[in-house]
Amino acid sequence: MPRTLLAAGVVATGALVAPIAPALAQDSLVIAGRDGVYAEAMAWLIDAYAATNPDVSIEALALPYAGLYERAVIAMREEAGAFDVVLLDDTWATEFMSEGWLADLDALGADTDGFVDSTLAVSRYPYGEGTLHALPFVGNVELFAYNRALFEAHGLDRPESWTAVVEAAATIDAAESDVDGVVFRGTKGNPIVTGFLPILWAHGGRVVDEAGVAAFDSEAAVAAVDLFLSLKPHAPEGVELYNSSEVRDALQTGTTAMAIEVWPSWVPALDDPSVSQVVGDVEIIAAPGQVEGPAPMLGSWLLAIPADAPNPEAALDFLSFATAPEQQRALALEIGLPPTRAAVYADADAVDAYRWYPAQLDALENAQPRPRITRWSEIESILGDYLQLALIGEISAEEAVAEAHARIAGALGG
Amino acid sequence: MHRDNHRRLVLLIAPALVLLVLLAVYPVVRVAVLSLFETEYGLDGAVYVGLDNYRTLAGDRFFTRSALNTLHFTVAASLTQVGLGLAIALLLDRPFPGRRLVLPLVVVPLMLSTMVVAAIWRSWFHYDFGFLNALLGSVGLDGVGWLFDRDLTLWSIILVDVWQYTPLTVLILLAGLSAVPREVVEAARIDGAGRWRIFRTITLPLLAGPLALALLLRTVDTFKIFDKVYALTGGGPGLASEVLSLFVYENGFRFANVGIASAAAMVMVVIAGALAAVYATWMLRSRAR
Repeated sequence: MPRTLLAAGVVATGALVAPIAPALAQDSLVIAGRDGVYAEAMAWLIDAYAATNPDVSIEALALPYAGLYERAVIAMREEAGAFDVVLLDDTWATEFMSEGWLADLDALGADTDGFVDSTLAVSRYPYGEGTLHALPFVGNVELFAYNRALFEAHGLDRPESWTAVVEAAATIDAAESDVDGVVFRGTKGNPIVTGFLPILWAHGGRVVDEAGVAAFDSEAAVAAVDLFLSLKPHAPEGVELYNSSEVRDALQTGTTAMAIEVWPSWVPALDDPSVSQVVGDVEIIAAPGQVEGPAPMLGSWLLAIPADAPNPEAALDFLSFATAPEQQRALALEIGLPPTRAAVYADADAVDAYRWYPAQLDALENAQPRPRITRWSEIESILGDYLQLALIGEISAEEAVAEAHARIAGALGG
Repeated sequence: MHRDNHRRLVLLIAPALVLLVLLAVYPVVRVAVLSLFETEYGLDGAVYVGLDNYRTLAGDRFFTRSALNTLHFTVAASLTQVGLGLAIALLLDRPFPGRRLVLPLVVVPLMLSTMVVAAIWRSWFHYDFGFLNALLGSVGLDGVGWLFDRDLTLWSIILVDVWQYTPLTVLILLAGLSAVPREVVEAARIDGAGRWRIFRTITLPLLAGPLALALLLRTVDTFKIFDKVYALTGGGPGLASEVLSLFVYENGFRFANVGIASAAAMVMVVIAGALAAVYATWMLRSRAR
């Protein structure tokens, strides 16, 4: 009787395990990714990858910006082996790479031919020349948008300086009852800082110098903050809480004359008459200069493999697939994701869909990354807090610069 | 015999005590220790700084504003929820047509996820397209910057919290009201006592326990406010809605300033402990009476 029971148990266990045995033998990848358009892109990629790799199962998390950073940092710090692939904002890359949290892709044999140099430079640590720790996935670069039709209607030229931006915003704001002169992201933290940095750089100011020491306390920074604040009277009510969706909506509905910060992935539908009321009217260009020339800001998203990834070889295969020219072209055309492959910007279909691609490639090739310091996220948060305090009128530009500088210096150990 | 009983009692309580020490006391002690160090993570490589982290907090405008905002939020939200909850519970305590339908409807906000609640209210608060400003516009009033007017932001978040959690106080107080002996109320009425007098001298004293419980639960919960602020304003504009939980979270989780975050967390522990002590003392005195 016991033998009969044992035999029955073995047979039953075999019957239960047999159907799931192939699944257990599969490679599986867990990807920590972003929400929104990045999640759409990832879903498209996973479907395309599954078509040629049916034995790999992929689970992708779609997290908001801050949530992705926190989840990734906690997983890496704990060495939890939670993810095989992580999507990283290039501003986080220095921290992740210097902490030794990411795998060496040179050693794994990653191919880097054909990427735009500026996007590849932030994928290496030390910056530009060091070990490859990521592959560039999204070639975002910060651009500037203005409604050419409105400018022409008011006899205004394309703005070549930030002073001209303020003047044009005032002119259009005064003349048009339903149109604001300018729009920007005023939300604390990364959004407000990202809009402000090209203004600071154009004024010759810096947040930290090349040695990684706080350098914000300068006349140039005060002038830049003053100029930034002078935009507010011509911006929509509530701009303090505006984020990317509000900026995109203002542009597409024609309720703003300018957006000081536009990322290509925000506006793939700018010329799509089904969602845009300004088809062909909006020009997307590099941000204006001031004391110094235009300083487009790099905002790449990188795909990396954690050092503790359970399945690094399969992860590299996915990374190579996701960043290959064919996929980059398809993602640009299908979803509007800005490519990191220079060849895609010259593709006839892509230029036909996005008339600003030549200008975008030019900006991307000349783009400046944000400071390559490990604590940039914290510095950005500090700067964002004080910029917003100034924006709501709680402190002056001088106070914002002095207090932010002192706090940044403290955070950097200065 | 007595000693045996005592031993058995200790043995029975021991597992729960061990769990309590592991789950509640150890983390608090560890946070208290970490608050005396400059550290990015744990105690490995940490530098002892004594009370410097507390001194830094005392001079930090972000922390002091967060503490003031948290107290403001806690007092305003919890008192409003208990006051409004009492009023609604008194209304629902008497029979009326449709009572069975109204009661579940009142509880609906409580059952929604906070993120869903935040998303709903964020759209209602929108300056240009929000329901609330449309309502104001329909009676000829100007729109209000619910989330970006720095004098109004915290009150807007209080409004959301009141909307979501007043039903909890309603439920607690309705349960309390159902325990008020009807014959006592009836006797008072026969003796000629009016509604207000019955409420003041019979209902309210008998509701003291449930009222204190509702107030304690809402005070502790509102003191920990995080999710609504995070989802609605991120602490802005400026420092208008910065709260202690957000301060601890940003320093501890985002920027790895674990020493500072631990010191701020200890301040929260002390304040929450004081609130709980007030409640416990009150309850013990009530029982003694």
